[in-house]
Amino acid sequence: MKLAHMMDGHRASKGPLADQLARSERLFASTGHYAGLEDLELRQADPLRFETVHMKLRAFCVSAREMARRISASPGVREVGEMVVALYTPEGDAVALSNGIMVHVHTMSRFIKWMIRNEYEGNPGIAPGDIFANNDAFIGTVQVPDVMDVIPIFHEGRLIAWAGAVCHELEAGGITPGGDVALAQERYAEGLFVCAEKIGVNDTIRRDYVIRCERNLRMPIYWVLDEQAKVAACIYIREQLLELVADIGAETLVSLCREFIEEGRRSQLARTRQLTVPGTYRGHAFYGHITSGKPGFQALGDPDWLYAIPIEMTIGVDGKIMLDFEGAQPWGYHSMNCTPAGMDGGMFVTLTQHMNYEGMVNAGAWLATELRLPPGSWTNPDRETCATATSWALLLPAFGVFQRLLSRGFLARGFVEEVFVGQVNSPMIEMGGINQHGDEFGIAHFECAAAGSGALAIKDGLDTAYVGWNPESDMGNVEIWEQEMPLLYLGRSILPNSGGAGRFRGGNAFLSTWLVSKTDELRLVTSEHSSRVFDNAGMCGGYPAPTCQVHRTVRNSNIAQRARNRLPLVHDLGPGQDRLASRLDGIHEQTEGPFIAAPMKSGDIFTHSYNGGGGYGDPLARCPKLTLTDMRNGHSSRRHAEVVHGIRFLESSESELAIDWDATKQARKSMLRNRLERARPVSAWLSEERQRVMSRDFVPEVRKMYAAAMRLSPRFAAEFRQFWSLPSEFSFEDTGAGKDPSK
Amino acid sequence: MTRSRPVVAGIDAGGTMTDTILVDQSGEFTVGKAATTPQCEALGFLESAEEACHYRGIGLETMFRNVDVVLYSGTGMLNVLLSRTGRRLGLITTRGMEDMVLMGRGLQAWSGYSYSDRLHAVTHCHPEPLVSRLDTFGVTERIDHFGDVIIELYEHEVRDAVITLIDRRVEAICVCLLFAHVNPTHERRIAEIARAELKAHGSETDLYLSHDVRPVVREQSRLNSVLIEAYATGRGRQQLASIQDTAARHGFRHTVQTLQSFGGLTSIAHPHLHETMVSGPIGGILGAQYVGRLIGTDSLVVSDLGGTSFDMGIITRGQVRIEHEPVMGRFKLNLPMIAMDTIGAGAGMHLKVDPVTGKVSLGPDSAGSEPGPVCFDKGNLQPTVCDCDAILGRLNPEYFLGGKVRLNVELAHEAFRKRCAEPLGIDNVHDAAEGMLTMLESEASTALRRILSAQGIHPSEYALLSYGGSGPLHLGGYSRDIGFSDILTFKFAAAFSAFGCTTADYQKRFSRSVRLDVPLAGDEEEMSHVARRIDIVWNDLRRQAGNQMKADGHSANNVHCKPFLLMRFTGQLEDVEIASPIELVADSKGLETVVATFVDTYRKINRCVSTYGQAGVTIVELGVAASAAKIKPKLVRKQLGSPSPCQNTHKGQREVYFGGSWHSTDLWEMDGLQPGNEIGGPAVIEHPATTLVVHPGDQVFVDEWSILHYRHG
Repeated sequence: MKLAHMMDGHRASKGPLADQLARSERLFASTGHYAGLEDLELRQADPLRFETVHMKLRAFCVSAREMARRISASPGVREVGEMVVALYTPEGDAVALSNGIMVHVHTMSRFIKWMIRNEYEGNPGIAPGDIFANNDAFIGTVQVPDVMDVIPIFHEGRLIAWAGAVCHELEAGGITPGGDVALAQERYAEGLFVCAEKIGVNDTIRRDYVIRCERNLRMPIYWVLDEQAKVAACIYIREQLLELVADIGAETLVSLCREFIEEGRRSQLARTRQLTVPGTYRGHAFYGHITSGKPGFQALGDPDWLYAIPIEMTIGVDGKIMLDFEGAQPWGYHSMNCTPAGMDGGMFVTLTQHMNYEGMVNAGAWLATELRLPPGSWTNPDRETCATATSWALLLPAFGVFQRLLSRGFLARGFVEEVFVGQVNSPMIEMGGINQHGDEFGIAHFECAAAGSGALAIKDGLDTAYVGWNPESDMGNVEIWEQEMPLLYLGRSILPNSGGAGRFRGGNAFLSTWLVSKTDELRLVTSEHSSRVFDNAGMCGGYPAPTCQVHRTVRNSNIAQRARNRLPLVHDLGPGQDRLASRLDGIHEQTEGPFIAAPMKSGDIFTHSYNGGGGYGDPLARCPKLTLTDMRNGHSSRRHAEVVHGIRFLESSESELAIDWDATKQARKSMLRNRLERARPVSAWLSEERQRVMSRDFVPEVRKMYAAAMRLSPRFAAEFRQFWSLPSEFSFEDTGAGKDPSK
Repeated sequence: MTRSRPVVAGIDAGGTMTDTILVDQSGEFTVGKAATTPQCEALGFLESAEEACHYRGIGLETMFRNVDVVLYSGTGMLNVLLSRTGRRLGLITTRGMEDMVLMGRGLQAWSGYSYSDRLHAVTHCHPEPLVSRLDTFGVTERIDHFGDVIIELYEHEVRDAVITLIDRRVEAICVCLLFAHVNPTHERRIAEIARAELKAHGSETDLYLSHDVRPVVREQSRLNSVLIEAYATGRGRQQLASIQDTAARHGFRHTVQTLQSFGGLTSIAHPHLHETMVSGPIGGILGAQYVGRLIGTDSLVVSDLGGTSFDMGIITRGQVRIEHEPVMGRFKLNLPMIAMDTIGAGAGMHLKVDPVTGKVSLGPDSAGSEPGPVCFDKGNLQPTVCDCDAILGRLNPEYFLGGKVRLNVELAHEAFRKRCAEPLGIDNVHDAAEGMLTMLESEASTALRRILSAQGIHPSEYALLSYGGSGPLHLGGYSRDIGFSDILTFKFAAAFSAFGCTTADYQKRFSRSVRLDVPLAGDEEEMSHVARRIDIVWNDLRRQAGNQMKADGHSANNVHCKPFLLMRFTGQLEDVEIASPIELVADSKGLETVVATFVDTYRKINRCVSTYGQAGVTIVELGVAASAAKIKPKLVRKQLGSPSPCQNTHKGQREVYFGGSWHSTDLWEMDGLQPGNEIGGPAVIEHPATTLVVHPGDQVFVDEWSILHYRHG
């Protein structure tokens, strides 16, 4: 099925590489083993050499990535590490990769295969020293800012491998600055596209390509130097690989690489068998996106999107993981659609964090898994001009579900310490306009790469130190970010209670407060929000990850005057502590994301907060001492401790609070009793809910959500009707939400 | 035996033992060893120096009067950091940034982790902060990256914070404001206010300012520097002062030196001692680099197993790796440092068995040298790794530290039986003890594999070099099955770090942050203007360097100043350091030469394709590296002789426990081994300061430099 999908829509192609690719795929289809390798002969003959060579290949990638980070001008790459480097077989299957954004293990693979299938061997040709680049998600990446470069590696005239690198660019030249362009409703607004293009020959990037970048991007230095950094990394890998070839021979290397992939496939299956229990697991997430009244959105469809993300995970007795997205809604005129390449990315980044963290991950893991992505859905759009600029908005909730499904498997198998409630969305802020030097600029602020994680089954989630797409979380230094933008931090503070409550709470996020400085034109935009519905759940009684916070601005603020008079400014902003409103004069605005508004100028204030993770276990079972420590460190408020955790304190000064153990016990007993009093039999609740369904008693967005999903998927519609015992002709009122206008 | 008089004395005070090496004019050296005395390091220093003098046949006074250099290094301050036994700190920072101490930039939740743990997110966690969030206060102020004051300092908030911290009896107050390295006005004003309040309250609390301690960009790294300086070096400075007093009392006429993290010597009066915190381990790497150069083995993995820690480093083709943003104790710094990795694993570590869960733990606390392991019979009853070595016959009870300490094996056996073997339900005490050693060695082996993997290094291209008092004792275990090309150790392994320190030269770096954009198509005048500005800074730094080196006792004609620049293509975030090819830039032609050198160096490091001339070139830092050479020890090369050691080197036999049974084992005196000798295992090769255990089936070969090569069977 995977193979059928991969081949879908591609023409038959010609050339030795195309033949090689077709043969490899035929062999996998007929034998179930990569390249038809039923025995790993080289491994059996010399297991030590086998491991040694694989370790070396991975080491080449790790070192290449470090070199590239030195070259980059982008804080996203240099400071936050938004980059990955990998080595591929001639057919484009990943053999080894560095650390970094693991999302792209298979996206680059798709890019290479796309070129082979599209007869690049003939025109434009694939020769030693060539450099190819791509950021087209329908060819193979996640979103426009994820720009990848690959180079072919030849030995004595024969292509023996590809080296590839990808960086997330901080500016992509879209309709709004940055790269995660929430305003993009079609491809044409997303920015500069490089569609599997030969951008260089003889190890040199073409000048005309650089000029195109310089003239179409707000901040070309990020993109251009990153491009150079990636190519340098690829060349480094080539040099190292050819040295290795001189030692072990090209034929041996190529054969070993194939065995590494088949071994990777077997390892993935074995690891799944070891850590989980076979069976069918189901989970769900929701995501809401408000566009009503936002400037710039065209009337191409209904505004205000609500997405249901149902996932069924099947783990076979052989260890194969299959994720089925049946029931996903159609793609839409918004930026959150995702291509199969992006869905691969979500799968890989999750697997590398939970099962394949020992560094042997490669295309084998992809072959041991399967994604079923309904054509026409947001997971597999059937129109290649739809926008994918913020596909993470739906990817993160979706693969958060995957993490929780896997965690159920770990729990069932007894691997309690591996249970992880997982990832959340973390809204990104992007900006452009005129910077503090008086120059035009554009940048995506990547401090969002340090949100709160979901809780674990044995401890609290990570505070301000996790994002799903890159486990090496990093918010970067304020002093580096401020050099790149006309904003001054007035604070970067832990946001109390921002993780979902639980016996172990979700990790908390942080809040940044900025003063606009030395500019009269700062365009701020944000992306990836779910401010009205929870986009990720908790586990085993833990509360969900809280929804996204609103953005707050004060225009024409009197902050300078207050500062001159040494009056308190905007600090200590936390839940229920509205210092902005009480302390500053000016035009106060609260905006539900995405934030798209008129430019700001010096003296204006902007706050932006990131998301915390979901909780694990009953909040009433939380150890009060943990919460007391949280309160001392600003992670929890007293009210939260009392209301959510039922903790009572002895009256004493705030800094010397002590737990009243007896009162806590009583309070918790009473809260549990109240819960029981409110409880009803599930059958009664289901019966009432069925009445609501029958009478379609939902807000319009919910009705549209189910209508669209049922229209796209007869299977989902049938299951829905069956679950609620609905008549066979039942449907929701259909307002056309998410409907493909072409149909 | 009387030899020529020493000119350099190198001392390495480890967590357990203090080693002294005396080097004479011709490079010959002798080694002394004594227990580290943490309460007053000067005592251990003096005792080990006395032993080294004894082997050289001179008195302490003679030695101290004659040596030009006393070089003191150690891990005492690092251990304070790792064991969180430093001072209680207070912190004043830019208001709104107080949570930096907890958030640690996010990346401190995984920095220092292995490749696999970096990916395996459930393993991530924040390190325990050095300052409590409750003792952290924000003061309203803001300076931007141009150095412009955007919000004036709220002085009343400073006063409130200082008074509260005085009330809370913090032992030091740190100040770290955003962009204080560009404009320190606010930090200086805070210092004035704080000093006034401290004086008014009669408090002697120390004050540390970030622009003073580490004036470089990246606030999280600067904060870590200032916190570590305040947290861990206070006691260290007192200890160094007492070393200086002791040396002076015995006739030493100069200032005692120590080693900076990038490998240069500096006076112990160095104002930022956190830059010297890993001097001991770095000494070992410098020594390995020096020895590697002598014997032609230029790619090495070095490993130092002492009483409390296991330190590792890498030398590739003769070059040590300099880490510019190193991680020390999981805190990210912005400091040039010879790259090292450390785990808490050593022979002095306590062994414990949890009475409820039966779980075994090695350390992290250690018996140190006082009271030492159980077998020292000085009152400690908690068994250590060293006790297991004694129980299993691997240590000679009559020859520990050359017989200075007699090991009470029975006492160790009994304590181990009661506290470890019985709670574990293991009847055979020796099996339990061997299991403990296997755990330690396996931990060290895993750490080695981790750094190899993290650095992308294949062991078959590297030799492992083992030193430290306990290195040779456990070398056979922790090096097994990794696949190193060779495994080396030394007769003076126990004092190798001290030896390494003595191979360093005096070095100081003087630098200044600048921002000089080299004009893209600049005319003669613009270029010359930049050239003149460079020369003005360099001349100023040369004067500063000359004065400082003179103050350290170096004559002007012995001091060499090399100008350097940190450059980048405009817009990049990382610099390339280049040694200037010319002493002064002078004019546009000189500037072109400098830029060409930068581009050439950059291309070598980052490949041609990565140059971006259109962006322009920026000089971000100008500096002068001042150095003065000093005498170094030498290794003597001899002809290879017979494989059979001289019979008087054979010390008899002892029963030693290997692989679950007792083996009759040959004992050899290490100092008696000659080049060419080969010894098959099982064997124990003894030295007053260390013991090399050769496992059954393994072999040791002595090469022409008298270096011992360990070969697994």
